[in-house]
Amino acid sequence: MRQRQGLIALAFLAPALVCLAVLRIVPAISAVVESFYSESLLRGGRVFAGLGNYTDLLAGKEFRQSVGVTLLFTVLVNPIQVVVSFLLAVLFTQRAAGARLWRTLVILPIATPPAVSAVIWSVIYRPDGLANGVLERLGLPAQPFLTSPSQVLASLIVLLSWIGVGYWMLFLIAGIQEIPVEVREAALLDGAGPWRRMVSVILPLVRRPLAFVLVADTVSNLLVFAPVQILTKGGPNGNSNLLMYDVYNRAYAIGDIHVAQAEVVILVALTLVIVAGQFRLLRGDQ
Amino acid sequence: MKRVGLSVAGGVVGILFFLPLLWVVTNSLRPGSETFANLNPLSWQTFFELRPTLTNYSALLGSEIGRATLNSILVSAATVVIGLAVCATAAFGLAAFEFRGRGLVFGIVVLSFLVPFDAIAIPLSTMFRDWPLTNTFTGLVLPGIGNGMAIFLLRQFFLGIPAELVEAGRLDGLGWFGVFRWIYLPLSKPALIGAGLMLFLFQWQAYVWPLLIGTDAEHIVGPVALSNLQGQNFTDYGLVFAGAVVLTVIPLVVIAGFQRYFVQSVSSTGLK
Repeated sequence: MRQRQGLIALAFLAPALVCLAVLRIVPAISAVVESFYSESLLRGGRVFAGLGNYTDLLAGKEFRQSVGVTLLFTVLVNPIQVVVSFLLAVLFTQRAAGARLWRTLVILPIATPPAVSAVIWSVIYRPDGLANGVLERLGLPAQPFLTSPSQVLASLIVLLSWIGVGYWMLFLIAGIQEIPVEVREAALLDGAGPWRRMVSVILPLVRRPLAFVLVADTVSNLLVFAPVQILTKGGPNGNSNLLMYDVYNRAYAIGDIHVAQAEVVILVALTLVIVAGQFRLLRGDQ
Repeated sequence: MKRVGLSVAGGVVGILFFLPLLWVVTNSLRPGSETFANLNPLSWQTFFELRPTLTNYSALLGSEIGRATLNSILVSAATVVIGLAVCATAAFGLAAFEFRGRGLVFGIVVLSFLVPFDAIAIPLSTMFRDWPLTNTFTGLVLPGIGNGMAIFLLRQFFLGIPAELVEAGRLDGLGWFGVFRWIYLPLSKPALIGAGLMLFLFQWQAYVWPLLIGTDAEHIVGPVALSNLQGQNFTDYGLVFAGAVVLTVIPLVVIAGFQRYFVQSVSSTGLK
């Protein structure tokens, strides 16, 4: 009976299992396998290269810079986005006139596809674009944004936060709204001020959604691609050459597909290490 | 007094987030040659157009972006229909049956959404080149249909359907496909809409994959076409902004239409 059930279940599961295996798991495995091979002009074909691709990568200055830029970006963008999302979630769950409308305006940009947002911001960041128009109005000097080695990451972070903060905020608003009203009222009766209520009451009670947002945000930021490809091409001087773009560039501009696969493996490994570390930290202080 | 402060703070933040979009909409309603006209100094005309024109939108119809937007619609619609069929049957297989290896199959589903798709897009695209699937709609749609997260969500929902209903259906002579079709599906509309939204947004927002796999004029999708146009020397910004508005408004209408389910599907991915 159970065996018959198994066969029927398998019939229902088959299309999805084939899709997941062929479109997700096989390419992941193939990246690992291919990363140990290289094309040989002499022997005309694929030859086993062992860790050769990896040592080539690590020896390259460009790759090491790319890892450095990616780590710096990760360390900056994630705390900023999580803190801003949390503060906005707290702000927009207070009773105040127009809160729903203002909240909607923050959420609106998540409908814009990331590549379209990148195109929009490429016009905003032009020397004669909206960003400098605003600075001028405030009496501040015009800035180079994307063409400045020291401003390019910050410019990308602003654009990515415009895209992402509303999305992460949704999770945190959902979390805050699940806090029982009595808990909040009790804190109010105890005379806790707004800051105290936020830090000692709301923050601990939204730990779970907060942890999720931190992990999911980190993963999505490690895979940032469209803004780099559309706005900066990794420049100036490699200062925005995030790993995902470096992989793409290596695979299609340089045509070094096996080394690119090695870099994919490193990128995924890095993602897993960072995410595992975050989970550990978050569980550690419970 | 405190409430006034809170609404002012909220208003400032909301307007700051909205300004870029407002600027895009305004500029989509004026000739491309005037895009940079009202920026120095900034004035109210930067964000409002008193004599709006729809020329950019009518130009969009015959342009590459118009064509690309239709492709995006086609690819996303096909993904939702086929993807829901594939994911819902799989979720039914996982939820309604007891069998050996169920844990293993479930593990594969979870594993498949832990590996981020964009990271494996490049190895997958080299595979697709060998199978000649580049520049085909099949190649564009395929990666969207087996969505581990959608299977996971639908399975959670299906687990809540009482076994007595299934038994009653079986006694009435329904086959297993009948149970799925006439008991599970009709009871799961909210979950199906949530999963459908997820499949739709995955495709609509996709950029890496279509850039790797579909760049000829017949298969290019909206975001890729828009970014191509942006890179050219003589860019008609009126057209760029009209395209950006259309590519934003379509998902916005879909999300707004299914707002309730959107929040459900978003929050259940993280919290439950």
